[in-house]
Amino acid sequence: MKSNHHSPPSILLKFFRWFCDPNLVEDIEGDMVERFEKRIENKGHKKARRLFVRDVFQLLRPGIIKSFSGHQKLNQIDMLKHNLLISFRSFMRYKSAFLINLIGLSSGLACTLFIYLWVQDERGIDKFHTNDANLYQVITHHEESGAIRTQDDTQGILAEALEKEVPEIEMALQSTPAFWFGDMPLTIGDKTIKAPGKFVDKRYFEMFTFPLIDGTAESVLASKESIVLSESLAKSLFNTTEGLIGKTLHWQLLNMERTYQIGGVFEDVPANSTETFDFVMSYEVFSDIVGDGMQWGNYNALTYVTLKPNVDVDHLNEKLAPFVKNKVSWSNVTPSLRPYSDKYLYSKYENGVQAGGRIEYVKLFSIISIIILIIACINFMNLSTAKASRKAKEVGVKKAIGAQRKTLIFQYMEESFLMTFVAIVLAIGLVLLFLPQFNDLTNKQISLVFDTNLVKALGAVLVITGFIAGSYPALYLSGLNSITALKGKMKSSIAELWARKGLVVFQFTISIILIVSVLIVHKQIDFVQNKNLGYEKENLVLFANEGKVATNHDAFIDRVKALPGVVNASSTAHTIINGGSTTTGLTWEGQNPEIETSFGNISVFHDFIETLGVEVIAGRSFSNELVSDSSKLILNEKAIEVIGMTDPVGKMVNLWGQDMQIIGVVKDFHFQSLHETVTPMFFKLDPSFLTNIVVRIEAGQERTVVDRIESVYKEYNPDFDFNFTFLDQDYAQQYASERRISTLSRCFGGIAIIISCLGLFGLAAFTAERKSKEIGVRKALGASSVSIVRLLSNEFNKMVGLAVLIALPLSYYLISGWLEGFAYQIDLKVWYFLGAGAAALFIAWLTVGLQTFKAAKINPSQSLRSE
Amino acid sequence: MGKYQLGEFEEIVMLTVAILHGEAYGIAIINEMESRLNRSVSIGSLQTVLRRLESKGYLDSKLGESTKVRGGKRKRFFSVTAQGKKAMSESKEQRMGLWNAIPSDFVLNDN
Repeated sequence: MKSNHHSPPSILLKFFRWFCDPNLVEDIEGDMVERFEKRIENKGHKKARRLFVRDVFQLLRPGIIKSFSGHQKLNQIDMLKHNLLISFRSFMRYKSAFLINLIGLSSGLACTLFIYLWVQDERGIDKFHTNDANLYQVITHHEESGAIRTQDDTQGILAEALEKEVPEIEMALQSTPAFWFGDMPLTIGDKTIKAPGKFVDKRYFEMFTFPLIDGTAESVLASKESIVLSESLAKSLFNTTEGLIGKTLHWQLLNMERTYQIGGVFEDVPANSTETFDFVMSYEVFSDIVGDGMQWGNYNALTYVTLKPNVDVDHLNEKLAPFVKNKVSWSNVTPSLRPYSDKYLYSKYENGVQAGGRIEYVKLFSIISIIILIIACINFMNLSTAKASRKAKEVGVKKAIGAQRKTLIFQYMEESFLMTFVAIVLAIGLVLLFLPQFNDLTNKQISLVFDTNLVKALGAVLVITGFIAGSYPALYLSGLNSITALKGKMKSSIAELWARKGLVVFQFTISIILIVSVLIVHKQIDFVQNKNLGYEKENLVLFANEGKVATNHDAFIDRVKALPGVVNASSTAHTIINGGSTTTGLTWEGQNPEIETSFGNISVFHDFIETLGVEVIAGRSFSNELVSDSSKLILNEKAIEVIGMTDPVGKMVNLWGQDMQIIGVVKDFHFQSLHETVTPMFFKLDPSFLTNIVVRIEAGQERTVVDRIESVYKEYNPDFDFNFTFLDQDYAQQYASERRISTLSRCFGGIAIIISCLGLFGLAAFTAERKSKEIGVRKALGASSVSIVRLLSNEFNKMVGLAVLIALPLSYYLISGWLEGFAYQIDLKVWYFLGAGAAALFIAWLTVGLQTFKAAKINPSQSLRSE
Repeated sequence: MGKYQLGEFEEIVMLTVAILHGEAYGIAIINEMESRLNRSVSIGSLQTVLRRLESKGYLDSKLGESTKVRGGKRKRFFSVTAQGKKAMSESKEQRMGLWNAIPSDFVLNDN
């Protein structure tokens, strides 16, 4: 560009010309330019330009700025009023169209708002820690059988080594997850309460922001004998949170017990934390329990680190990769840092690479919310353009007396903005009304707070929706020719018809895709929940092995077995549904030393396999009589396959350096989440560490049998509550998050379909009304109602039919992508798609049919008389 | 009654327009004021006062010829009207009357 230094900044000149009184503009501008030129000579360009800016702003004063009270401005305000009046009248006059628009837009907006709140909440999870920006969790990638498995569990000794040896790491500490131990009993006097707790490093409260009500972050866990309670736990144990420091309470886990001193009290863990717990104890205690199990091959902690400022994480990850392998040459483990707050949304790893997770649902719902909004906007566009003939006269008259196109565009935009505004107000009302139900559905505690973010979002939605919804009608209506408009010869152009039809097809395509997706998501989740697990999940009662029950375990099991209605009873260290510990300590002859394989390690008591109902396909189960069975193993089919044995019964393998004989093989069964395929595992008879008691009872008399078990339990543990669960309920709980997603998507899918149908309903009503004369003539000439219904609905059938054709392949493509995330998928059957298409057609027929039938029933004399 | 009292800045502007007699347009007035009175004047404040004085009838203005400088914009030349002259002399008389009323033993330049 040519240097423009010799003329003043043009943008400022334009600005000046805009605000200045037109009578004054010429000579003042001249004065300014003259002064500017002179200043360039005297003071240089830079200063001249700066002073010019000052001059312009000093001219912003009454007497120079053009008058507000001129005709021009008044006119605009009057036009605004006039437009509002016209909009209001047209709303009143065409109530049905107005209501269809309003209901469609406001329910669409309410959905969008709900999804916005949900997404905000999801994204805010775990973000509340002050250290958030520098807070990372160490995850470990394991190379196994040619693939990489990623897990959160790390070695218990990793944190200390990291902090000592990696200068970029400011603090590293370990903790156990609370779910490892279930609810543990805490006793004070004769009061026992069970609560979830975990073992954490003594600096835990320095790294994580769980505010302390009593005690300081540095001191609460200073002693190994310290326990820190949550506010609500302290209240239920002591009825107060004050003056508790130093008081003692009794803790139990399995057959271990300790007396703790209260070191402090923390505020209850907020709902947006992924880690929930009610008390914490020193990790040193756990180290003592584990004893010499604290090695590089064992995974007994979660490890968290904070980094020093300005550390490049990618670079650090590269540096950390060989960290464990440098310690122990046989290791197959690569540690890696993941931002702590990514744990919730980005938890899925495939072959060592981040592969989404819950974020996919967040994205999915964001897309759905936009789609719903678009569908609602399309209704508005279609109905407004369809009703153009009614407005044609108005447009004609306005144009004839000199209205510019700009003014008309402005008028229709104003109408659409007004509509959107009313819809937003209504949507906020709807959200407030249904928020409790929404919270139930999503298991969240969301509230509608009008913070700046929300107001900004609402403003953006108002502008965007108002603009999209209003653009087409505004451009279309304002472009009408005034003469033809006044003559009433409103012939829809081909392009316009296509646009309207195209929009309807688009709406229905999306609706059908939603129907298909909702149907298949529902089927898949149903399938997962009812899948044959390889054992009978019904009528299994689970409860913790604790207190006196744990110390008298064998006798207790015998008592329970003898109860009427009890089929069998046993115990295990496994959670059965959540998975349990795994080990790479199983070796065998002929094993490829390069490939490490991890085996599920399930410690069980006698009769566990029988109680669970897992099928033994070769050899035998553990026997009550043979003491030597503690050096025997039972493997699953998958394990035999991995080892590559034929005829495995009686052969030897090595577990943790000890020779073990395989005495049996069980059919594969699911002992983990169904997101994963069945992995190799073994059963080991190990009465020393059993956390859960499992009882199979007879069907049909659950209540009485459970009462009987409880009375036996109370004989051993009179102070404990008998907390039991049914395995099938736990199992359903496992998939609660998927179920919620499924319910949510069903709701939103339903709303999208309803909104689409509303639009179709409006269009059908309009067509019927426009064709009322034609219908009258046809009827007068002897046409039957049926043929008229057919005539009217033909057009809509074609549109919806086309939508079905487009939607089915698209939905197939989308849904098969989603299903790939599951290890066990349903087969996609043709009828899912055809059914969805038929459902869409049926709904459309119903909607259109109601209208056309009404039109066909009208006495022709009525429609022909009115002119 | 109803007489318009010139303000201080207004009076200075009137005087400068009179000094420049026939050559009084925006920038010229500002330059004259800045050089004689050693005070900086913004275009904005000058223009407001000029228009106010014009609307009171003390000043008259007409546009000159367009020139190549100043972006081709014409100058607006201001001149003092008869009414303006009257206001100026009235103002001057008032001042003189006040000056004359100062007692003779009052020393202005006491060093």
